[in-house]
Amino acid sequence: MIGPAFALARREFVRFMRQPQRVVGTVAQPVLFWLFLGSGFNASFHSSGMGGGSYLEYFYPGVMLMMMLFASIFSSITIIEDRDAGFLQSVLVAPVSRMAIVLGKVMGGVAIAMVQTLIFTIAAPFLGLHIGLGSLALLIVTYILSSTGFAAMGFFFAWSMRSSAGFHAIMMVFLMPLWMLSGALFPIENAPGWLHAVMSVNPVAHALVLMRGPFYMDPAQLLADSRWLTALAVTLVWCVGFLLASMARVEKRERGASL
Amino acid sequence: MIQIENLSHVYPASRKTPARKAIDGLTLTVEEGQFCILSGPNGSGKSTLFRILCGMAYPSSGTIRIGGYDLLKEPAKARAQMGVVFQSPAVDKHLSVAENLKLHADLHGLSGRDLYERTDEALGWTDLKDRQNDKVMTLSGGLARQVELAKCLLTRPRLLLLDEPTTGLDPASRRNFVDALHKIQRGRQMTVLMTSHIFSEAEDADRVAIMKGGVLLANDSPQALRGQLGREMVVVQSRNAEALETRIRMGLNISTRRHGDEIRLEETGNGDSLPLLEKLLAAYRPEIDSIAIKQPALEDVFIHLTGKTAAEIEQTGDAQ
Repeated sequence: MIGPAFALARREFVRFMRQPQRVVGTVAQPVLFWLFLGSGFNASFHSSGMGGGSYLEYFYPGVMLMMMLFASIFSSITIIEDRDAGFLQSVLVAPVSRMAIVLGKVMGGVAIAMVQTLIFTIAAPFLGLHIGLGSLALLIVTYILSSTGFAAMGFFFAWSMRSSAGFHAIMMVFLMPLWMLSGALFPIENAPGWLHAVMSVNPVAHALVLMRGPFYMDPAQLLADSRWLTALAVTLVWCVGFLLASMARVEKRERGASL
Repeated sequence: MIQIENLSHVYPASRKTPARKAIDGLTLTVEEGQFCILSGPNGSGKSTLFRILCGMAYPSSGTIRIGGYDLLKEPAKARAQMGVVFQSPAVDKHLSVAENLKLHADLHGLSGRDLYERTDEALGWTDLKDRQNDKVMTLSGGLARQVELAKCLLTRPRLLLLDEPTTGLDPASRRNFVDALHKIQRGRQMTVLMTSHIFSEAEDADRVAIMKGGVLLANDSPQALRGQLGREMVVVQSRNAEALETRIRMGLNISTRRHGDEIRLEETGNGDSLPLLEKLLAAYRPEIDSIAIKQPALEDVFIHLTGKTAAEIEQTGDAQ
């Protein structure tokens, strides 16, 4: 299962790197977002939930999450192209496990998201966020985990869609609120009661907790922190859930009605 | 190699469309080593049959054995013996020829020296030798199709399924592709089942199966099929074919068939054609635009069996 999955993931990555517009677009967009919004808000907003740092610093993991979310989800859009072009048929008739087909796409998406996020991680020291090797390792684990969850979710929704324009529309309606209510833009703690409730069941908010953690706490502290561990559990469940659900979709064959 | 027995497939009813029977009690056998062409007008069920054979759909009922394995009960073993060339390109056009072959090999668990040998063998017959590092999108339609076929040959299939593989190719590339396919099939003793409605491709086949409305109308060698139509026929063109047909039928007491403005007198014994033609000209000359004696070709058998002309079929294109 792993061999074919890697082969498919490699294909995703190679295709991505051969389209420079895609690379530039996906890296530049969140960076601009961060610099413009972050700098603008920096002077005007300061809230108790943000800790002592600047807004630019507060917003930093939020943008990282956005990068991860969008890169992972939109890499799944290529399933729609694959189906249209005909490539998908040859994968479906190959003797590979259905999970390999899902993992191929998802790992490809994760690899693409990782490149972008890691480039963006270079900005951390300039914000005064100094992280040790242990924290960096944990950070990378959280990247992989949340990216897998997002890519699997994208796969799940993209599988039955027939147009990439439709996928864009649905994902924008669906993803923007998930991200806005994740604590990326403003802290959960200060939100009104109803919004607080919505935000605490948002799985993307848990992914953000996961991602913000390594910047502020040591690995030892994190692994003892119940909030961080809860976020880890939620993200894991979300990953496995969408992977299995996606596999079930791929497995489903067209069946003739009984006579 | 392929034994299909009593196969039926019904597309389930949806909110907008009623249930539709695409294949109706089909029984068809393709012997080992044969080159079989499956033809039929659009909606005849051949695309559905193709989808079932390559494992993309489960039929409503019936059995299929591929090389001795039950396709529905042991799909992995049955499918391991076949290579599939789809109508729409199944290669990634952003990748090079070599990368596409490697990806296909990875999906089928081929690697190392095995792969190295097989790549040479799979590319041996193609014109791709110097273009292995070119992206598929830079290749011509004919060469891209060769990649498609070469890729399938990597797994050394005993059975090759092809779904209208020459769609979109110019006549010369089409000829090249089919010739190469015949050569490979003979050289490796493969069984080939190819859907097509281009009759020039069917003339060299061992068997031609014709489907319509989900049932098999004929399955025989091209010679035998042509033989079904007698040896010759007289074809009359008229602006007023409907009226003329009735008059010929009444006047000469012979059976006729009409397709648009063309009337066909197919049951003409050997040597009777010329006298018949003279008789027709003598009696109906003003209504006849043109008249000819024709040796039956496969296309005529197809028209005879399905009631559709090749032009009508080409016109509608293949919806699937």
